[in-house]
Amino acid sequence: MSFSLNEVEATAKRATRGAGYGWGLSEEAGKASRWLCAAGLDGAQILADLLDRGLAHAPGRHRPACQGNEWRGDEILCPLATGAALSDHMGSLRTGEITLTNVAAPALLLPFAANIARNLKTPVTITVDGVEVVTDGPSLAMNPALPSDATLVKVALGGILTAPAACASRAVPDPAAWAVLNRFAHRTYAPATEASRLLGAGSGLSDND
Amino acid sequence: MIDLYRDIARRDPAQVMRLSRLGSLHQCRLSFMRQLTRRMARENWRFTRPVFDIDTNGVGHAVYTAHGPERAYSLVAFAHDLPPEQRSDRVIAEAWDATFTLFDGIPTAEDIDRLSQNVPLQEAGRISESELSLSRANRSVRLWAHVVDALAAGTQPDPEQIYQVGYLMRTTAVYGSGKFGAADREKTADRPELSAPFQTEMLSVYLTRTFVRDLVQHMAQAKGGDQTASLDPTIAQWLGIGNSTGLGMAPFIVNHPVLFNNWIMVREEAIARVRSVPQATPDRIAQFRAIFERSKLSVSWWRSDHLVQIDKLAVLRADLDTLTAELAQRDLTENLPWDALIRWSEDHLSEEGQELLASLILEPYGDLVDGLVDCMADSNAGAQVIDGNMSVAQVRALIRQSFDWALDLDWKAQANCARAWYVSEEKLEPRLGERFEEPIAEYEQPLAPARDAATAYDALSHWPDTTHIAAFLSQHPEHRHTIRRAQMGQVAPYGEIRDNTIGADVMPIDMLRAKLSFFGATHFDPRSDRWVRICMYAGAPYPEDLSADTADHWVYPRAMT
Repeated sequence: MSFSLNEVEATAKRATRGAGYGWGLSEEAGKASRWLCAAGLDGAQILADLLDRGLAHAPGRHRPACQGNEWRGDEILCPLATGAALSDHMGSLRTGEITLTNVAAPALLLPFAANIARNLKTPVTITVDGVEVVTDGPSLAMNPALPSDATLVKVALGGILTAPAACASRAVPDPAAWAVLNRFAHRTYAPATEASRLLGAGSGLSDND
Repeated sequence: MIDLYRDIARRDPAQVMRLSRLGSLHQCRLSFMRQLTRRMARENWRFTRPVFDIDTNGVGHAVYTAHGPERAYSLVAFAHDLPPEQRSDRVIAEAWDATFTLFDGIPTAEDIDRLSQNVPLQEAGRISESELSLSRANRSVRLWAHVVDALAAGTQPDPEQIYQVGYLMRTTAVYGSGKFGAADREKTADRPELSAPFQTEMLSVYLTRTFVRDLVQHMAQAKGGDQTASLDPTIAQWLGIGNSTGLGMAPFIVNHPVLFNNWIMVREEAIARVRSVPQATPDRIAQFRAIFERSKLSVSWWRSDHLVQIDKLAVLRADLDTLTAELAQRDLTENLPWDALIRWSEDHLSEEGQELLASLILEPYGDLVDGLVDCMADSNAGAQVIDGNMSVAQVRALIRQSFDWALDLDWKAQANCARAWYVSEEKLEPRLGERFEEPIAEYEQPLAPARDAATAYDALSHWPDTTHIAAFLSQHPEHRHTIRRAQMGQVAPYGEIRDNTIGADVMPIDMLRAKLSFFGATHFDPRSDRWVRICMYAGAPYPEDLSADTADHWVYPRAMT
């Protein structure tokens, strides 16, 4: 089934929150999944695989210590926390590339790199275990599919965007991955009670007047 | 061209963004409905009804097409025979008197077949990238029966009943922007006719109103046969479309601070420009006085059974008397006449009266203010990206700019955090609950920016002024959404409500009214503190009467002679 990108963003944001991330990173996860779908990747699948790993249960162990230009965490890095940190430190990229060690779902770094490219008005090149990907913000030029985990990721300003893919206006997520996102999203919904049904939205149930 | 005296600034956000004032806003010439009708008249839009296939029980479908200069849009309407026990205006309803979609272009028979399988199901169906909106409406049961019966008996309906109800059907949701599979806003945002906010939804409702007029005539005909009267066009003109709105709109204005800022800031800029007019010409003064008289008639039709609104209406009517007396004394030929009038209103009128006057002074000055409507959409996606290089001191200053009033509030006190916004698993309906009485706190949505700002401000207190906010965020990702909002304040000074949105005494309808006033809604009629009915397009010309003469001031009634 085809979904609007707005549906992808809303579902991904709720799912990320339901998986235990804060609202700020959840908002960014929503936009990141949307961007991946627009770039022709299955952003729902990539996010669902990440959320299933449960990194939000010990967030402090999966975020980078942003010292110098070689970042690593206590354990494998969460790409949402790492992507946000890269975005927050985008100015440091002007002085040289940043190297990340051990990153889960590295494709999720791409939308953050795209924001950096848009803000700094220069393409950004991400090299994932030797596979080079370039983005100029809206578009992506990419070689073979990225691995589910990366040992070494390099992020640098510059690069040449050859044959950028056309942006997609719809998403066709893998149904199983979409179900995973909805399962996480469901954790953010309060079970309905008769009291909340009557009071919560504030109206009566009849419209016969 | 008018030379403006440009020392009159926009009003301070601290004055404008209080909930009580936002809950007193009135439509104005910048409203989304009036933008649409002016454009359609200016561009000579054509309207056709290629299909009207509805049986004598009122079941079937119809298509109404609006042909713009470059593109066409079609309302596909499905009429149903709804048993009264199923008639509910709640999002959790599952059946309606009529259901609609706005199709991007002209639908084929295959499209209509596909839509007939989905649109009547609303949230339980799926629409596609070819559709721009999804909506439904229920009859106003009493007025519907009155109009059908009167026409079927060969007579006209009672105009008084029409003025006071204002519509034959009310919509209970109009979904756009990619909901339930519809096209994303990005598909149409670059089209001139849909680039301003909510133009898709406003066009859908405009066509819906024509459909409802045709349907009531059709049903009267089925009942009355040859003796049936044709609905008098001067009465039909005052049939708008109602809307019944619950809490869903309140989160919208909190979740879109840049967009909401743009609406408010454009109106404030328009007010500042008119206040800066050095001298008013006799022609403009006459226009203002005429519109003021007509607005009084509109207010006289405004009814509500809700205690808060009854009081507000009484105060507004007293304001109108005070303003009438004042305008009898002022000839408005002084220097800066509109500025003087607004200053006078701040000392003599309630917020209802002040905001009505602020909307009315814009009316004679379309040449000064109408161009501002191009600034009402939100095209600033970059505002979402946090500037990690900003210093802790700068972020603190930005938080103080919007929330200085909130920093010393005792956010632990029950009265200050009595409520929590949440989403129910039932059709994902947004709701507001009692934090200390219901098990909802763990599901709370981020709709208390003031409390969150105070919490983040507290967390920042131990951080050195010159540290980059990126360092704070890497330790405190839980404040990320609050820091983002604080930074948006740089481009969106009117983006934050300056009141507590989770306090024991919050009135969510204030948020609904602010949003609905920008749509151009009238006759705001709360049914509770969080649920409201309003009227859209009452007085507007139908497609066959739309022209440069009728396209703009239709919202202000003229006394019937």
